[in-house]
Amino acid sequence: MKKHVAILLILVLMMSLFSVGCVKKVETAQEGEQGAQEDVIKIGVFEPLTGANAAGGELEVQGIKLANEKYPEVLGKKVELVIVDNKSDKVEAANAATRLVDKDNVSVVLGSWGSGFSIAAGQVLKEKQVPAIGTSATNPLVTKNNDYYYRVCFIDPFQGKVMANYAFNEVGAKKVALVIEKSNDYSVGLAKFFEEAFVALTGDENAIVSKVFYITGDQDFSAQLTNLKDSGAEAIFAPGNFTESALIMKQARELGIDLPILGGDTWETPDLLDIAKETAEGVVFSTFFDAKATFNENTTEFLEAYEKAYPGKEPAAVTALSYDAYVLAIDAIERAGSADPKAIRDAIAATKDFKGAAGIVNFDENGDAVKSAVIKTVKDGKFTFKTIVDPK
Amino acid sequence: MKERKNIKKLLNIGAICFAIVLLYIFNQVFNSFQMRIFNLCGIYVILALSLNLINGFVGLFSLGHAGFMAVGAYTCALLTMSPDMKAMNFFLEPIAPWLENINLPFGSALIVSGLMAAIAGALIGAPVLRLKDDYLAIATLGFGEIIRVIFTNTQSITNGSLGLKGLAKIGWFNASSESIWWIWGIVILTIVFMVRLIGSSYGRAFKAIREDEIAAEAMGINLFKHKMMAFVIGAFLAGIGGALLGHLIGTIDPLMFRFLLTFNIVLIVVLGGTGSITGSVISAVIVTVAMEALRVLDGNIEIGGYMIQGIPGMRMVVFSLLLMIVILYYQRGLMGTNEFSWDILIKRFKPSKH
Repeated sequence: MKKHVAILLILVLMMSLFSVGCVKKVETAQEGEQGAQEDVIKIGVFEPLTGANAAGGELEVQGIKLANEKYPEVLGKKVELVIVDNKSDKVEAANAATRLVDKDNVSVVLGSWGSGFSIAAGQVLKEKQVPAIGTSATNPLVTKNNDYYYRVCFIDPFQGKVMANYAFNEVGAKKVALVIEKSNDYSVGLAKFFEEAFVALTGDENAIVSKVFYITGDQDFSAQLTNLKDSGAEAIFAPGNFTESALIMKQARELGIDLPILGGDTWETPDLLDIAKETAEGVVFSTFFDAKATFNENTTEFLEAYEKAYPGKEPAAVTALSYDAYVLAIDAIERAGSADPKAIRDAIAATKDFKGAAGIVNFDENGDAVKSAVIKTVKDGKFTFKTIVDPK
Repeated sequence: MKERKNIKKLLNIGAICFAIVLLYIFNQVFNSFQMRIFNLCGIYVILALSLNLINGFVGLFSLGHAGFMAVGAYTCALLTMSPDMKAMNFFLEPIAPWLENINLPFGSALIVSGLMAAIAGALIGAPVLRLKDDYLAIATLGFGEIIRVIFTNTQSITNGSLGLKGLAKIGWFNASSESIWWIWGIVILTIVFMVRLIGSSYGRAFKAIREDEIAAEAMGINLFKHKMMAFVIGAFLAGIGGALLGHLIGTIDPLMFRFLLTFNIVLIVVLGGTGSITGSVISAVIVTVAMEALRVLDGNIEIGGYMIQGIPGMRMVVFSLLLMIVILYYQRGLMGTNEFSWDILIKRFKPSKH
């Protein structure tokens, strides 16, 4: 008896969950299934929609859906998005990519938030010879040695160089201290390329006076910061996860360190401001996109579409990037003139001056985008656009 | 009695032959997606069995499995990777010179990775196995995290948080059709080994320790030696499972070996029944297949002309509900501590003579 009640309760729970999931009357149910399938070009999307990185994945799917509404057709056929969840897990990411290719027969794949997932899927896609356009994965390994993976974001070497230039020219620093999140591939890469560029700029082997490390999840940075305080640094470069970075800002100011703090694109979240509060004032970082940095007419188009779909909200950089990834895919299919993955790959590779919402995209020999960066700062508790830096 | 023993022997051999034929057929008919899931099932069977040996049969609540897997996966990856691939991966910081030109065939690399994990198991086991229950769980959990942090920081050996990519395919010939034989071959070996081990005097000693340590000790069982043995064998198998997992997806990084991975395997073991080999095998297959099969729930579903819009993550909700139902009905897991045995089948077909 008890068990029957339990089963009943669980069923009720299940049903209520489904009913929450917006039941909609099907309008196109009568359409012939076979006919519909031939007139469709499938684009696969794999993103972390559950698990640790669900927030990032959600933002990217937003951008892709927005672009899909704007450009629902290519070559006279309807575009069907096949969105699969990779559960913020590498094994699942590889499964998802295999599924997209084998089961859904997609022509091109978009995604994903998080380099690890992109690398895992890239192995599968390379073997199956289906092209992929990365959105915001910045680990150089994603596209290295993989002719089928491209991406619309610039990667760590360029961003490191941009910030080194900024530190040298704008801040006027001759000595810099690095604060590195050792367990984060992004932070390690960025710091390394910053160091190379900065040493080259100053011509001083010892321009990096101090390097301190921490690990994702750390709370107390006073030991590292005390070390750094007496190092003679004139600026701090601390790329890393936003929570830890915010705590670093806070604790640095509490320790009386009033050097300029520089960072990377991961800082651009409201959480950073919530945690660091007024101590975030004046920090400078590079990123991909800003609503005020109008690159071209597509930026305006994207902003209008975004405003319409999510009134009163500022689009995140990754949303703009994923929007670009979709539009680039459509553009490539158009140029290839077919839904054949190999032809699309060649078309993507041949991309020249693609006008994306987040800047003009060209690919280097690895398939990484060469494009402009945006520099932002925190002013009066808000992220404020500073300038655009063009690639050299 | 003798006759029955012979029948069982024949049946066992027959079952293994049947399994091999089945594998051959699967290898022909499965597409690469089904193949990947099937291979993943095999890997989870190995991992579940290795954890079940420690948790289920000896009753040591160990949560350090992801650590052993990481040791195995990194060892195998670095041993089999070609020097060119290594140069490509280690672009930030060059690889340690002694590692640069090592290139072993897959089989021997796999055994070495198992051994490395076993050594790690022995090192951690020696101090930690004196602890009991929750304390042991905490200590082993800490060990798993320590391994991950070490791998994150030894950049010239493991490439740190950047991870490694371009791991060779499983097997000697770099062909996809080979992996099923390696993975399921190892599964069969593991199952046979586990059945023999549990049936031996060691196995009975393991179970005695699980039921009552003091009584077992009074019976003359050397507690530490037996615990150590189970722990090291479990670590060896976990290392091999981790290596296979790494090579199946073709890339590894330290983040992959978080506590969550251990938790997945604990889930499989508990669902199957702690202390049942059959249960671990069944539940590893069920869990792996269900996670993919339930994927339809994430998308849009059409019922009677009405469209239910997909919510990402719905499959996880349904999966957990199914788990709850199973645990309500089978409180000790699907199989409890029971095993599949030919006796039941023989009895059914041939009523006993007396």
